[in-house]
Amino acid sequence: MYRRIKKVLGGDILKKRGKGIGVTFYGTGYGNGFPDVSRAYARLLEDGKVEILVGATEVGQGAKTVMVQIASETLNIPIEDVILVNEDTSKAPDAGTAAASRQTYNSGNAVKIACENLKDNILQEAKKILNVNSKIGLVCEKGSVYVKTYPSKKVSFKEIANINNNLKGEGVFIAHTTQMDENGQGAPYWPYTFAACAVEVEVDTETGEVTILRAKLVLDVGKAVNPTLVEGQIDGGFAMGVGYALMEDVGLKDGKMLNSSFEKYIIPTSLDIPNIEKVLIEYPEDTAPYGAKGIGEPVLLPVAPAILNAIYDAIGVRFYEIPVTCEKILLQLNKG
Amino acid sequence: MNLKACYRPLTLKEALDYLEEYKDKSKIIAGGTDLIIKLRKGNINPQVLIDISFINELKGVLEVGEYMEIGCGTTFYDLASCILLNERLKGLKDAARSVGSPQIRNRGTIGGNICNASPAADSVVPLLALDSILTLESKKGKRKIYLKDFFKDKGKTDIRDDEILTTIKFKTPTKNQGLGFYKLGLRKSLAISRISFSVFLEIDDINRIEIIRVASGSVGKFPMREYKIENYLTGRILDEDTLNTALEILEKDIYERLNGRNTARFKSIAAKGVFKKALLKALCLAKGGGKIED
Repeated sequence: MYRRIKKVLGGDILKKRGKGIGVTFYGTGYGNGFPDVSRAYARLLEDGKVEILVGATEVGQGAKTVMVQIASETLNIPIEDVILVNEDTSKAPDAGTAAASRQTYNSGNAVKIACENLKDNILQEAKKILNVNSKIGLVCEKGSVYVKTYPSKKVSFKEIANINNNLKGEGVFIAHTTQMDENGQGAPYWPYTFAACAVEVEVDTETGEVTILRAKLVLDVGKAVNPTLVEGQIDGGFAMGVGYALMEDVGLKDGKMLNSSFEKYIIPTSLDIPNIEKVLIEYPEDTAPYGAKGIGEPVLLPVAPAILNAIYDAIGVRFYEIPVTCEKILLQLNKG
Repeated sequence: MNLKACYRPLTLKEALDYLEEYKDKSKIIAGGTDLIIKLRKGNINPQVLIDISFINELKGVLEVGEYMEIGCGTTFYDLASCILLNERLKGLKDAARSVGSPQIRNRGTIGGNICNASPAADSVVPLLALDSILTLESKKGKRKIYLKDFFKDKGKTDIRDDEILTTIKFKTPTKNQGLGFYKLGLRKSLAISRISFSVFLEIDDINRIEIIRVASGSVGKFPMREYKIENYLTGRILDEDTLNTALEILEKDIYERLNGRNTARFKSIAAKGVFKKALLKALCLAKGGGKIED
């Protein structure tokens, strides 16, 4: 008897589960004919460290880490020996906005080119100092240059800097961006990042509440310069996608925002986000710095379609407008 | 802002003296989680604040005979973690735990939640279902009033400008009794309630409802008792038909109450689901604290 009442009152039958996926591709950079140029300078400092000047703004995405990693990799020096100046506009050259998922790809390329040019100049100088006829056979390692077949023939970056204090390199990267034709056809971007998201949701048919039970996000990153940062971007992008799909509404009325504070403009909390299983696919992009493509926006894009598909799978209602709030779900379920 | 002074009395007597002196020119501040916002927005403009958050005699939970007595200055955190409140009162703890954020729960008080008279006040709903009695004190003396009679309109209560709400008391639930609470918010934490329900239930071995008190939040001008559904359910055996009829009554009642608002249809439907969840929780507790499989 008690069991039967419990069942009547709200057993699992009233909660419907469904699964859905979303698949997207997204062009890195401004694209569609809008000029997209990143610049960077690299300079050998007196103490043998290398200064990187690039106007790539850190907005929490990890530009400061990634630019240092790329410079460190290119010059084969420890990351401690890279001095990054990235947000001082009196020093750093323009590297465009931290937008369009473009900093790692575009400005990363500029930093890589600047470092390659600096490295070339360092090797030229080392060639003279080490008294060999060619740069061929010279190795750059941990802040020194040596002759590969005669490793004791070696000079440090610091010694090189003391002999020539004007060693620099400039990097300019111009991205592919061509305007589409009047029919919206063409090749507006290069490269593209691919992403797929799968979720399982539970819809409470009595209150309209949606709970995301499980999530998986697969991202074609080209190369993860810093895998932990990419995973962090996935966590953040997924949460943003949940807000986009289920909660966030500026409530525009007659040109005014009704939900103009975080009291009414609802974004997800940690309790609204499940553990996200993450898969990074590393298929290096030829034109990218060490193969790395833009991932900032791509981590967000497949989330809302996956959630809406999962809701459809759960309750058979197809929503064409977001956010899908409990109110919209309940009214749809009780239509007519 | 017109604020000239903020007094911080250490005893209730001292606080009542200040209140007697300044009356409507003053505002009582406890946790301040609602008051500070109103001050900033300019919605209130007192000359004097009387800060009662340092008065120890207004804090904490006491067991007095068959009653539990909660001091008005008890925070939501204290309430949610109070070991005196037994498992049958889980609905009250759940409500306290669902208020705002950890910061709000550490500052906000039960007395403030009641006196602020917000329709969405989470802790008030289970206190209504417990048929709580408030004690209001002034220099002139004490008076008692049922919580269900305390609210007059949205943000309006029966309290006079020389009175402080000092305690809230209710009978400790016993055998065959339980208190359930469910809140529908727009997210899983830090959510303002869209609808909340609390159910106090006493049910016998053959599932006859001996006592049922139902309270709602955010479906009226203030948190209130749902007498129509209470009257229908009292004395009946809880089965599928009874429940369905009760839900119809509730839906119709709330739809009529909110008629004209664009949320009327949604809220009247959702209220049924929220009520059922609160009832199920109360039922499980009344039947001996059985786990709710959800």
